[in-house]
Amino acid sequence: MTVLSLFSLPFVALILSLWSSSAFASSDYHEHLLLQPLPQSSLLASFNFRSNTSQQSFDQQHFRYLPRALGQILQHAHTKELHLRFTTGRWDAESWGTRPWNGSKEGGTGVELWAWIDAPDDEEAFAKWITLTQSLSGLFCASLNFVDSTRTTRPVVSFEPAGDHSAADQLHLLHGTLPGEVVCTENLTPFLKLLPCKGKAGISSLFDGHKLFDAAWQSMSVDIQPVCSADGECVVQIEQTVDMVLDIDRSKRSRSNPIPRPVPNEQLVCDTSKPYNSDDTCYPVEKTSEKAWSLAEIFGRSLNGVCPLTDFDGSSDQSVCLRVPHERGVFISEEANEIKKDDGFTRCFKLAPSVPFDLSIPQQPANTEVPLDEPVLHAERTIVGHGQERGGMRIIFGNPSNTSAVDFIYFESLPWFLRPYIHTLHATITGHDGVLREVPASEIVKETYYRPAIDRERGTQLELALSVPAASTVTLTYDFEKAILRYTEYPPDANRGFNVAPAVIRILDTAHNVPIYIRSTSLLLQLPTPDFSMPYNVIILTSTVIALAFGTIFNILVRRVVSLDEAAALGAQTLKGRILGKLVAIRDRLRGKDTKMD
Amino acid sequence: MALKSAIRNLRNNPNLLYVRLPNLVSFICIVVGVVWLLLLPLNEYSRQTYISENALLPGQVHAYFTGSEQNIFRGYKKELEGLLNDGQARGGQKDEAEVTAALSDKLQSILQAAGLKVATQKYEYTSAGITHQGENTYAIIHAPRGDATEAIVLVAPWKTADDELNLNGVTLALTLARYFKRWSLWSKDIIFLIPPDSKTGTQAWIDAYHDMHPASVQPLPLKSGALQGALVIEYPFEHRFQTLHIVYDGVNGQLPNLDLFNTAVAIAGGQMGIGANLQEMWGHDDSYEHRLQTMFRGMTKQGLGYATGAHSSFMPYHIDAITLQTKGEGWEDEMALGRTIESLCRSLNNLLEHLHQSFFFYLLMQSNRFVSIGTYLPSAMLIAGNFTIMAIALWIRTGYYPESKPSAKPKNEKAPTEEKGTNTIVERNTIAERYLALPLSLVVGLHLLGLVPLWVFNNVFHQYFTTTTYIFVVVDIILPLLLAAILSNGLGVSKPIIPQQYHLIKSFSLLLLGLSLSTLATLNFSLSFMIGLLCAPLSFIPRLRGSVPFRLATSSLGLVLLNLVSPPAVLLGVCWYMGVSVETVLTQAAFGWDVWGMWTQVVVWCVWWPAWLIGCVLLGSSIF
Repeated sequence: MTVLSLFSLPFVALILSLWSSSAFASSDYHEHLLLQPLPQSSLLASFNFRSNTSQQSFDQQHFRYLPRALGQILQHAHTKELHLRFTTGRWDAESWGTRPWNGSKEGGTGVELWAWIDAPDDEEAFAKWITLTQSLSGLFCASLNFVDSTRTTRPVVSFEPAGDHSAADQLHLLHGTLPGEVVCTENLTPFLKLLPCKGKAGISSLFDGHKLFDAAWQSMSVDIQPVCSADGECVVQIEQTVDMVLDIDRSKRSRSNPIPRPVPNEQLVCDTSKPYNSDDTCYPVEKTSEKAWSLAEIFGRSLNGVCPLTDFDGSSDQSVCLRVPHERGVFISEEANEIKKDDGFTRCFKLAPSVPFDLSIPQQPANTEVPLDEPVLHAERTIVGHGQERGGMRIIFGNPSNTSAVDFIYFESLPWFLRPYIHTLHATITGHDGVLREVPASEIVKETYYRPAIDRERGTQLELALSVPAASTVTLTYDFEKAILRYTEYPPDANRGFNVAPAVIRILDTAHNVPIYIRSTSLLLQLPTPDFSMPYNVIILTSTVIALAFGTIFNILVRRVVSLDEAAALGAQTLKGRILGKLVAIRDRLRGKDTKMD
Repeated sequence: MALKSAIRNLRNNPNLLYVRLPNLVSFICIVVGVVWLLLLPLNEYSRQTYISENALLPGQVHAYFTGSEQNIFRGYKKELEGLLNDGQARGGQKDEAEVTAALSDKLQSILQAAGLKVATQKYEYTSAGITHQGENTYAIIHAPRGDATEAIVLVAPWKTADDELNLNGVTLALTLARYFKRWSLWSKDIIFLIPPDSKTGTQAWIDAYHDMHPASVQPLPLKSGALQGALVIEYPFEHRFQTLHIVYDGVNGQLPNLDLFNTAVAIAGGQMGIGANLQEMWGHDDSYEHRLQTMFRGMTKQGLGYATGAHSSFMPYHIDAITLQTKGEGWEDEMALGRTIESLCRSLNNLLEHLHQSFFFYLLMQSNRFVSIGTYLPSAMLIAGNFTIMAIALWIRTGYYPESKPSAKPKNEKAPTEEKGTNTIVERNTIAERYLALPLSLVVGLHLLGLVPLWVFNNVFHQYFTTTTYIFVVVDIILPLLLAAILSNGLGVSKPIIPQQYHLIKSFSLLLLGLSLSTLATLNFSLSFMIGLLCAPLSFIPRLRGSVPFRLATSSLGLVLLNLVSPPAVLLGVCWYMGVSVETVLTQAAFGWDVWGMWTQVVVWCVWWPAWLIGCVLLGSSIF
């Protein structure tokens, strides 16, 4: 690795000197990694890569940090702002607290994409959207090309453009999800290729598909938006993030022996205060101290210096930060410097270029814990009822705060084969005292935006502006009907059920002026499914029966049983019979001649 | 020519065609139906079980649940034992509720410490004046990279189906929860449910899971995705066990997918070397007798339709579930059971789709032998068919004047069956008009009358069940005679009944019976078969003619015999034979109706009882 860095250094220096003299001074690149141990032996690793390119150079296709492949797609599809998310697993808000980046950098399970497209009208916007999804599908090796009209929605209030757009643009917001998409290494490789250091140096060198996709929760995002400063100078900003929650115990297991076998008896941590504690009886004590770990153990490799393209100005050279109490001992590689922040929990590391960096934390009794923020809203969405025909949706919103109400937008895009009955939308409020109050939905639901589905053309889009009073839980329910699909509309895979995209909740927090997003889990919808081998059997059987029965009956009905002389008489009367009779006579005469000649 | 003349003879002899022949055909149907069932255990008619869903891969993984996990098992067990003994030692001082609360807290703390999400649910049911209440504790392991779309349930009730303390089972569930949490391979969430008993707890939980619970049951605070399968663990004794007893019957005779049962048998027998038993057949030597006995036991449970364990409640929601009970004294310890469950969970975890491949309708006669619905269904269908044949024959027969001579109507052998009572084409006095009003209203009325005993037997307090049954025996003796008297003499209320109407009453009654039973046969084969056999005499009950003493003697004898197969009499007889009290059975039945959604009573009181009553009325009318 050092050899590589030595080679690359003069090259990079050359490029740097070249570019610094050029006109595009606003190009820059930053990367940042935040590590935070979470309860239940988890570790949140939050990677962020951000670079800017001036609007001018973007328009002239002068790509430096912005990947050319992506830039050209955006230009071709007239996309002004793009957000792409790859997510797996579920964030356990109960034990892990608020989501990283307030949930704004994560998507629902699977792939989620939304973009603001500049187009004169809706049809053209949709045509460009299809171009965009097709191209991104190729670029990211994801099935984004399956985002068709049934999976595309146009949210009205759930998303706001994050960038600064010129008023001249006619922007159309389009949103698509693929809840069943499995995010895997094939999506990571193109993602890494977009980075300036391509996973070779800097924090991106920690990405190992085996570890990344073993995480309990993991989200990759790409955001591209124009950002304008006060003096009117605009840059195109690309921000890529990878957030993951790793299980420390699991990640530390060696790849050659990944099976969590029972530990040897002597390694069991038992509660020795129990009277029955002995060699063969053990009441386990789960947590005695904070776990020991190091970067190399968790990620399977050490951090490979810093990405030489990073701009070193101000604090951005502290590219790795760790949130543990200051009294915890942390061992770092020799060349790096540790800077402790004033908040008592954060410390950042100034890495030496081109020297591998590792960080290890010994096992230590837990005295203080890093405080985790309580999420402002809990949301849970489940399908209730059973059977193949009908079902119901139940969404529970819990407001843990005792003082303030939460206002939010609830956005749901349902596939067309799930037909909601909006008239059954029904809300109940339960206080923390457990008393149930049934109120009309209109008291809780402030505004509704509903766009009904059209079979096989578009899905249902439902946006609700809701408010949950302090210290209470709101339960929203509605009934739905399951459509019967045509048999060619079933996917050819194993019939696990149909995925329903996660709901998006946007919390309107006016105090902080940052959007907070929460996504529910995706759902599995069981549709009436034929046993595909059975119709085949039935068709064969019925065809046989019909052929036999019909054939025989038709035969009996049509055939006339007559005696031989009757038949001759019948036949002689018709024209055909007369002609045939003549022919027979001629033939007989010829035969007669033949026999005579013999 | 001989054949031709025989057919012509038959044509000219409606008495033979409509009176003798149907009796014969009906009888043959019944005999063939019974013989058919008796043939099923033979090798030629039953099949070897096989795993149809290839994704299950039973026993293909190594089970690692051994070693130091046993120390933890013992630790948990001592902890729970301590709490239980604490309650016992203080005798009356510490009441049941306190012990339950302490146990619940302990369960929650253990599961929480293992890193699971824990929740509880309180419920209360009232049936036959008895209140059942309790609190379910359950915990969820989130699939490490999953999204709460699918889940498997592991149930360890505190009380087994036989009401024994299931301490080992509960402890094993706790140990497995801690052990499973470490694995990253789960593709589905795993839910550990610990209900206080096997009868009510799982029912309350599964109802609330689908939001179908009554008001007395709390909703679930914590949920996961679609349930793909459930396993119940029962280990109610201290010593080591010999074999596993697999219980699979669900409520209303619903059965889990045969693949689940086969997987359990394959893993227990093939991978772990533990024998698997079913239907309490301990010394099964694979002989014809034992196979038949196993099948009959299965049919009895299926026919009665009650919940045979904690797993039964899952079946109505199309969630396949079985109970694994440890039996006998042998070499296998709790870790062997744990490994079996681990392997079963791994198999279920492999599933890509809901279990759908194999059979849902089957009769098992050995752990590796079964008959599928296609083979056994004709048996119950033939018995149900006998009633329909008789009903159709009676209908056609009522189209003739009974006194008309057979020779007088050689050309009208095909009586136009389409022409109901309002026929206008009366040819040569041979086709009779049918008087339908009375027969129809009587048959419909008596079927509706069945709702009365249905309501009574599901709503009376449990201490009055025995008395009510005896009252019903008496009612069953008097009511038919009363009805017969009213019908025969009119009693000034209506015109006296004509003989044709007796045939029509019987025809409608049998038609309904045949229709109900043949429909029921596809849903609950065994119940249809049992009711069909008990109703078989009804096909052959004639209205006697002849001298008064003869009629009186024969019909009285017939009525006595019929009363012996009346629903309450059969209930009393079976209870006496099995040595259980009537009150227990009826309390259980009422409980089944109120809590499990059991439909057996509806069949008994709204199908069997009206048909039986009409049979008695017909026979009784011979007296008058």
